Amino acid sequence: MTSLLRIELRKLLPYSTFWVLLLLQAALLFVFFYARGNVMVNGQMAGAELYQFPKLWMHLTYVSSYLNLIPGILIIILVSDEYTFRTLRQQVIDGYSRADVVQSKASVILLLALLLAGYVFLLGMGFGLYHSKEGAASMFTEAQYIFYYLVQVMGYMALAMLVAFWVRKTGLAIMVFLAYTLVLERLIQWQTPDTIDKYFPMKALSALTPNPHSELEQLMLGITDFLTPGQALVPAVLYIGLFGFLSYQLLRSRDL
Amino acid sequence: MADILEIQGISKRYGAVQALDQVSLNVPQGSIYGLLGPNGSGKTTTLGIVLDVINASAGTFRWFGQPLSKSTKRRIGALLETPNFYPYLTGEENLRLTAEVKGVAPARVGEALQTVGLGNRRGDKFKGYSLGMKQRLAIGAALLGDPEVLVLDEPTNGLDPEGIAEVRRLILHIASQGKTIVLASHLLDEVEKVCTHMAVLRNGKLKAQGPVSSILATNDLVFLNGGAPLETLLQTALALPFVAEARLTDQQIQVTLQNGVDSSELNRAFFAQGIALGQLVVRKKSLESQFLEIIKADHA
Repeated sequence: MTSLLRIELRKLLPYSTFWVLLLLQAALLFVFFYARGNVMVNGQMAGAELYQFPKLWMHLTYVSSYLNLIPGILIIILVSDEYTFRTLRQQVIDGYSRADVVQSKASVILLLALLLAGYVFLLGMGFGLYHSKEGAASMFTEAQYIFYYLVQVMGYMALAMLVAFWVRKTGLAIMVFLAYTLVLERLIQWQTPDTIDKYFPMKALSALTPNPHSELEQLMLGITDFLTPGQALVPAVLYIGLFGFLSYQLLRSRDL
Repeated sequence: MADILEIQGISKRYGAVQALDQVSLNVPQGSIYGLLGPNGSGKTTTLGIVLDVINASAGTFRWFGQPLSKSTKRRIGALLETPNFYPYLTGEENLRLTAEVKGVAPARVGEALQTVGLGNRRGDKFKGYSLGMKQRLAIGAALLGDPEVLVLDEPTNGLDPEGIAEVRRLILHIASQGKTIVLASHLLDEVEKVCTHMAVLRNGKLKAQGPVSSILATNDLVFLNGGAPLETLLQTALALPFVAEARLTDQQIQVTLQNGVDSSELNRAFFAQGIALGQLVVRKKSLESQFLEIIKADHA
């Protein structure tokens, strides 16, 4: 897997599209955190209240989850590029198996997820230390949310990978991905009882980073049944595995 | 000699289209094997199947007597249809990547670039290469790791005459090192100039296969007239045991002799029947007419 990743890095590092999207994601995360902290609530900066350890981790990962589509789109571009350039075909001719192809993209997904989670963690430390009033004894007590975020962003990218392997065309794959994540699943959820739809991919993934004000939300929207982040971890990991497995099956069953 | 590649009855169906129908062929070691056929005859499909990128609907194939695996892939260098590289990487970066995929030492990259004459353009991006350079880079990539077999699909496609000559020289040079080369082409003259063995495909069916000499150089045509009415000449010719085919064309009789029969034997036979031929012309069949004959065989 490390040699697969090394080969992927040879493709990625000189690729400007990769850097543009990665820097965009990093910049937007920063802007989101900064803006949310600077909203004035009752004549006071929200950050002063929101960005206190340890609840800051829950806040930041919830905010970060709004930006998961960008890493997804990046993965779609990276996968569909291999079809556009026909390099996928060439690499299978040159020695890759179908499993190698999926594993090499999975290694990129893991790397990106680690980078993003690490970045959010660093931003959290920065904002937290800047705003913290008292000593930082409880700094890491809720840092597990960083791990939940890591799994969540991997889930988005794994779904994006599957869509890209399935559709193969960049533009169309991005549209299918956005349509499913933003519209389609919600429409299905609407028709499905809460007890079942909480296990749907997007809902299970979003349950990993709950809204810190969820009590209010639940009261207003009348949501009765939801997964806690710890409970959502199991379906989320299963979905990631499933998306990878389906990608492999797609590659196996079709001509390249 | 052992066969490098054995194909047993492979078929491929795309919906209603039968792209390949029960094709079986053997590529002997050390041969330059031409896969000849018009566009859409199934050449690329055949190569795609044995290179693991197209799933056959039926049939089997073996490389070096083994099923295809990572280790057999290492012994094959292949270029299928178009040169496939990352446009934003340089020629050298692209080949380094190929080397790593193949598990070949990156030190071989410079050598491969030199062989295909891209040494001085190694630092330029692939998207800036001309068609000929792209094609040469693809051949360079196929050569990485010193494979025992080279599979080249239309390697001279889109090249100018100089580039074509260069690629052919390269192929002959590689073959002289004892490597086996499988070459798909729709150009007869390319196959004749380069190949030792050939197979002819048409509409997914195998029409002929074997050494180029046995497929192309046999069955000279003999044209006869004079000495008797054409109708008599035709009847006489048809009655001879060593005449494979005879027909009336263009105010003369066109006779195809069986293998190994000399035209003087024909003359003697006519004379024995009391006909002194006015004219007897032997014409080596042009490659093109032979090719057309082979691919038309299914209409007969």
